Amino acid sequence: MWQFMLSAGRAGLRSRSIQSILILGALLVGVAYLAASFSPRQPQTVALDVGLSGLRITLILFALFWVQELVAREIERRTVLFALTYPVARGRYIIGRYLGVLGLIALAAVLLGMLLWAVVLSLSKGYAQAFAIAPGIPYWSTVAGVWVDAAVVAAFALWVATFSTVPMLPLAMGLAFAVAGKSLGVVAEYLAKGAEGDMDLMRFAPVINAIQWVLPDLSRLDWRNWPMYGLAPDGQAVGLGLILAASYAALLLTLAVMTFTRRDFE
Amino acid sequence: MTARAQYKGWLAALLLALVFVGTAERLKSAPRKTISVEMQVALPLFVQVFMAMGDRYLAANLAAIRALVVATGRMQPDEFKILAKVQEDVSWLNPGHEDNYYIAFAILPQYGEVDAAQTILARAGRIRFFDYHPAFFYGFNQWYYKHDPVGAAAWMREAAKKLPDPDQQLTMQNMAARWMDKAQDTELAIRVVTTMAKEARRKDFRQYLELRVARLRQLQQLRMAAVAFRERFGRPLSNLQELVDSGILPALPQDPFGFGFGFDPQGEIVLRTSPPQS
Repeated sequence: MWQFMLSAGRAGLRSRSIQSILILGALLVGVAYLAASFSPRQPQTVALDVGLSGLRITLILFALFWVQELVAREIERRTVLFALTYPVARGRYIIGRYLGVLGLIALAAVLLGMLLWAVVLSLSKGYAQAFAIAPGIPYWSTVAGVWVDAAVVAAFALWVATFSTVPMLPLAMGLAFAVAGKSLGVVAEYLAKGAEGDMDLMRFAPVINAIQWVLPDLSRLDWRNWPMYGLAPDGQAVGLGLILAASYAALLLTLAVMTFTRRDFE
Repeated sequence: MTARAQYKGWLAALLLALVFVGTAERLKSAPRKTISVEMQVALPLFVQVFMAMGDRYLAANLAAIRALVVATGRMQPDEFKILAKVQEDVSWLNPGHEDNYYIAFAILPQYGEVDAAQTILARAGRIRFFDYHPAFFYGFNQWYYKHDPVGAAAWMREAAKKLPDPDQQLTMQNMAARWMDKAQDTELAIRVVTTMAKEARRKDFRQYLELRVARLRQLQQLRMAAVAFRERFGRPLSNLQELVDSGILPALPQDPFGFGFGFDPQGEIVLRTSPPQS
């Protein structure tokens, strides 16, 4: 299993992904910097806010790209058969690959996180905003939350890759899953607060409640109010959010292992 | 490919090129629906979130930037309603957005969107526990646009609690107390300022507030006397001395601040805010 993980890591690093991280990182920093220039009173907060959104989008794209590259493409090209000739269970290949992808997105999170951090701190030179942001533990906890979010999306894409016979399906479905999972929290909150009296929308409340049985609320992993406004997230909510993410990812991984074990490669 | 098939291909390409060029020419003169670059559309909340890949904070930032770059000078009155909706959405997505509440306060009330501004400020005040501005702005709007001195003073006291410097807190509490002077319901004003005096930590400020209570009691006494005057003589007061001359009051109350009392444009007795000009 560790061999599969390490080979995923090596392949991920070889596939020019570090260059892509740097290019996307430069883009992310540029966008965060530009967004800050629009803010009259809180440029650092806006840079951090937009930067964290960019970080999440980037990490999810990387996670999907690596799952596509390291698993889906191998299955499609049948190069996966070489790996399966080793006398180990097929499930180990899937788990090894998943851990490899987790490591790669963690590396990307740290690199991009440091880049964003440097930009946000450098913005304080031009204008000192009245209410300072909180770098340090609040910031890095938020980055870790973004990483967990990407890890769940990666698990979903990996599961899709194990049964997909259509190229790019894991990427497309993974992206849809990421958007739906993140939007779910906003919709649920809006309906829970009465949808501003819109009765037509309120009819969907039971549907949204039911969806939460199958789709995780990924917005629970977004703790950016902490570094931005010093509002530490509720401990119980964080704990439950992490358990939700971990159990969902583990469930998808189990399904992926089961599907992959039974899959016929002609 | 045979020569015949190639010929057909070229013919089809030529036909398509002609259609393209012809359409492009016609399209140049086709009327364009005028699109205002300012605020014409407020997208539904969920569409905004969806377009931001499910990220409510990103959706809030995009809408806030839109509200920031809008040229209000060129906007039509009904477009301010849309601006208000856009900014309310930002405050729902991220109530703590500082730029949003700041520009909402700066722009919206002037164009009749006081309620939207108050919603945004109230949400910002709740989440930004460290920031006195939203409560202060809310209080100001309540005072200036809503003519509600009691509500304004309550928000002012909320704002004062968030100020780090005790002297600044006193200044703001003082402002709240002064606004209470303008309240039509003097009994309520007296009760509020009395409570403020009891809660004051500094002795000198407590004494100052007690003087304001005394002043409000004097105002209450004068207003009641004015009502009695009207009932007895069937006409309103023309000056305060008439209350003494008619025997309703033994003497006019002495304002502890020395500013005295006057009449507002509606003929209601009010507290003067500056010494009378001699």
